[in-house]
Amino acid sequence: MKHLFGSRNFLIVLFGTLAVLPIFANQYTLFVSNLVMMYIILALGLNLLIGYAGQLAFANAAMFGIGAYGCGLLQVKLGMPFFVAAPGGAVIAMAVGTLMAFPALRLSGIYLALATLAFAQATQWAMLHWEAVTFGAGGFALEPLDFSPLPVSSAIGTFYMTWAVSLGLLLFASFAMRSRIGRAFVAMRDGEIAAEALGIDLLKYKAMAFAISGFYAGAAGALFVPILDFVSPESFDLFQMILHKSMVVVGGLGSIMGSVIGATLLVFLLEVLRDFKSTQEIAFGALLLGFVLFQPKGVVTFIRRWVPGWNEPLHYTDGTKQTKQAASTDEPVATEASEERT
Amino acid sequence: MSILTVDDASISFGGVEALADVNVEIERGEIVGIIGPNGAGKTTLLNVICGMNLPDKGRITLDGTVITGWKPSRIAGMGLGRTFQTSQLFHGMSVLENMMVGMHLGSTSGLFAAAFHTKRMRDEEVMMCEKAMEALEFVGLAEFADRPGSALSFGQQRIVEIARTLINEPKVVLLDEPAIGLSVNRVAELDALLRRIRDEKGITLVMIEHVIRLVMGVSDRIVVLNSGRKIADGKPEEIRQDRQVIEAYLGAQVDA
Repeated sequence: MKHLFGSRNFLIVLFGTLAVLPIFANQYTLFVSNLVMMYIILALGLNLLIGYAGQLAFANAAMFGIGAYGCGLLQVKLGMPFFVAAPGGAVIAMAVGTLMAFPALRLSGIYLALATLAFAQATQWAMLHWEAVTFGAGGFALEPLDFSPLPVSSAIGTFYMTWAVSLGLLLFASFAMRSRIGRAFVAMRDGEIAAEALGIDLLKYKAMAFAISGFYAGAAGALFVPILDFVSPESFDLFQMILHKSMVVVGGLGSIMGSVIGATLLVFLLEVLRDFKSTQEIAFGALLLGFVLFQPKGVVTFIRRWVPGWNEPLHYTDGTKQTKQAASTDEPVATEASEERT
Repeated sequence: MSILTVDDASISFGGVEALADVNVEIERGEIVGIIGPNGAGKTTLLNVICGMNLPDKGRITLDGTVITGWKPSRIAGMGLGRTFQTSQLFHGMSVLENMMVGMHLGSTSGLFAAAFHTKRMRDEEVMMCEKAMEALEFVGLAEFADRPGSALSFGQQRIVEIARTLINEPKVVLLDEPAIGLSVNRVAELDALLRRIRDEKGITLVMIEHVIRLVMGVSDRIVVLNSGRKIADGKPEEIRQDRQVIEAYLGAQVDA
């Protein structure tokens, strides 16, 4: 099925436009485009965990921070080059993320949310107060990234690096979620008991979901370092968490394209509201609440309905478990020994 | 040798004895019905077999291997399928994808094979798709393959669930009240389907069921539980005549 407005063509246009952007765009446009691509990675990583695997975790901003601090500190403290420190930061975030799968085996829903939120706050505290390692509240600055053997400026090099990494991670997520692994995630989300009875090892797949999600957030964090050339705790606070969550929910839980659309839309909204800093938090909180209440499947449901050829697998969720529905039809219709007696 | 044995299984929850020294032997190719009043321990027995409850005491053997204490996913890998009292279709997936989750154990492609779209992984997807369609055709629901699971009627969902457990060619399938919520006509269809599963696929079925006409008609043997104890075990005709069973379950209204 080939349609003009299919999701694949949408991606080609989006990333094609981004690829030629540096020819005519100014610095501000490049900066915003960098943010769009970085937030696409963050939203994808969070969506894999919450939207696909159904793990209600609230540590994405902390993983983002761990990736950024890992990448920055490996350069500043240990003198590693960026191209070693960046994957290092992502891998550290992945390792920390994987550890979180263990509480997730015992905790679910609101309890997992609270435990991961507590972890995120502890990470924030360490960034602020563990000054010997993290430089405290003031953060630290780095030299602009040097691509020296290549004839590109720091800004252009950073842009294309972010472009390539975000496209790569987008395709990875898209293929993985259409596969056996993606189906195992969704099965775990929609019914842990049935998933287990079909042979899906919950520990393995939860660990995998947390690891991938941690890696995505960590990679975004590592890319954030050369975008700003500055790392400070306030970039990774609770507002960030709300922002990531809003992107995933507005776009559509359990939809790869939803995360791309959600991240793009919300970065633009963020920029529009940049002059009114205090309104940002209110706006995003309201947006998240509005979508959760009135359109829990996100904007992709509209697109699916109105755009022919938007053929994405239907992995969306509205957050309700099917067991609740089933409970109401629990009454047997043609049962009981009475049938035998008559 | 029996395909599935439960030896002296006991389990209690907060002082309530849900199972007390239950012994059950299931032969290859049998349909065994488990009946008993509410709270008799029927579902607990299935949970103990499939690894969702760890028995306090006792031993479960599946096809010669002791599986007591194993994780449910590992036991499933040994060839034990299971359906549940409530519908457990994955609502965020199409019927076909639900069926393909049933093939999880019969496939091996990992994360990187998926992400890099290897030839082996694509071949495996095609194989899974074909097997899934085959199983849907077997139960007569192939036309619904592309619908979301939640779009099916309750009865159809139950049948898809049964088909989903069959796809991976298990040795034994445990069915927890498969006829719940089905109309009388549907029960007759289920009866025929269960016989076909036994005869054409050679799969052993263990079924909890309250619809007496179904369970008496289709079962080769019936096990009766009451208050966590096995009170009878035999052919349907024998169970019908068993005084203890009549008292415990069928009720005093049945003429002895």
